[in-house]
Amino acid sequence: MKNDLIERYIYAVTKRLPQKVRKDISNELRTLIDDMLAERCGELVPEEKDIRVVLTELGTPEELYEKYNPDNKKCLIGSPYYSTYKYVLKIVMICTIFGVILANIISGILDFSKSNSIENVVSSSANFIASLITNLIISVGAAFGFVTALFAFFYHKDIKIDTTSNLDSLPSVPEKNEKISKVDSIISIGLSVIFLIVFLTAPQIFCVVMYNEFIPIFNFETIRQTWYIIVMFSVVGIIRDVVRLIEGRYSKKVMITTVAANIISGFLSLWWLMNDRIMNPKFADNISKIFNNESTFIINIFSNFQYFFLGLIIFALLLDILVTVFKYLKNKEK
Amino acid sequence: MNHDEIVSGLILELRRGTLILLVLSQLKEPMYGYNLVKKLQDNDIPIEANTLYPLMRRLESQGLLKSEWETSEAKPRKYYKITDDGLIVLERVVNHWNNFSKNVNRLLEDNNEK
Repeated sequence: MKNDLIERYIYAVTKRLPQKVRKDISNELRTLIDDMLAERCGELVPEEKDIRVVLTELGTPEELYEKYNPDNKKCLIGSPYYSTYKYVLKIVMICTIFGVILANIISGILDFSKSNSIENVVSSSANFIASLITNLIISVGAAFGFVTALFAFFYHKDIKIDTTSNLDSLPSVPEKNEKISKVDSIISIGLSVIFLIVFLTAPQIFCVVMYNEFIPIFNFETIRQTWYIIVMFSVVGIIRDVVRLIEGRYSKKVMITTVAANIISGFLSLWWLMNDRIMNPKFADNISKIFNNESTFIINIFSNFQYFFLGLIIFALLLDILVTVFKYLKNKEK
Repeated sequence: MNHDEIVSGLILELRRGTLILLVLSQLKEPMYGYNLVKKLQDNDIPIEANTLYPLMRRLESQGLLKSEWETSEAKPRKYYKITDDGLIVLERVVNHWNNFSKNVNRLLEDNNEK
């Protein structure tokens, strides 16, 4: 029984320590406990009571483990990342909640407009509340998890977001045109989050009313099948904007992140929108009918809406790269 | 205001660095952990084994101490001894400590006299 208690104690202390020091610390503790017992009992054989006193004196296994644990990063997200983490989390949470509610209200309105009897209205309302709550829980959970994982990664991989370690490397006070507006970054993060939620939960928002009917632009089935592309697109955008928010100026890091993120986003949109089944075939048909083949230009735009959309996205991404690189180079000259 | 809590926190901070200084200074001759605990306690420097053991291990990983298991005795024990690097560091820190404590004491005494 005596040895059992000591061994259990040592095991409890060392089980989570790195493999390479575990045996050594176990041996060391065993000798130490033996020495302490010898000091306490002299020549007498120690009783269980003595062992308990000695082990209590050493502290709980948890305390001793903490003292031996060489890892100084004992928290998930510590300084100096924590304050930015809290800040970004707040923005993402607000946008998520707002986006989910918006998406649900819109899909709710579309549902109600279809219901023509009292029973239908009642069941639509019940559906509306149930899906709102489910979507809120899932989205808030996912958003929280994502932001937390991102910052935990930054923290534990020591990705420097602050370079104020010595006086010479303190960045100059950003001039007006060098600063990245916090509001812009926040709005951009918010839009990414809302875009993600709306596309995933209510793609029917993108619709046009024709002949008293809502005609969705996109093909829901395909959107559901390609959800991962939408998620990647938003995540890349959020990472880019978080870096911008943290840096607050057109630095090299911002320039590199923006170029990389926008190139990735460009390829993702290409991949997504070049899919022939992404558009609702009914949409193009109705467009041709409405314009009665009169205006081929408008018909062309709408029947090739996905390429038009793709062009817009790529134009915006390229413009963003150009502006960022230009501002970075301009500020470097000074 | 809980004075005890603040005082014990301050004392802990004051002790942290000085303990390292003491541990390094006592290990010019090899010693095992519990032996050092006893020696410090005998000199009215109370230290818990659960503080000293992890501390010596950390100093070893910094290259200031080296250790060896002595298995020829009845009980196998891990002996620690200061390294050459440790000696250099110790000398410099001791110099700093001497000057610093002298100045601190002088200022504290000046204050008392006023």
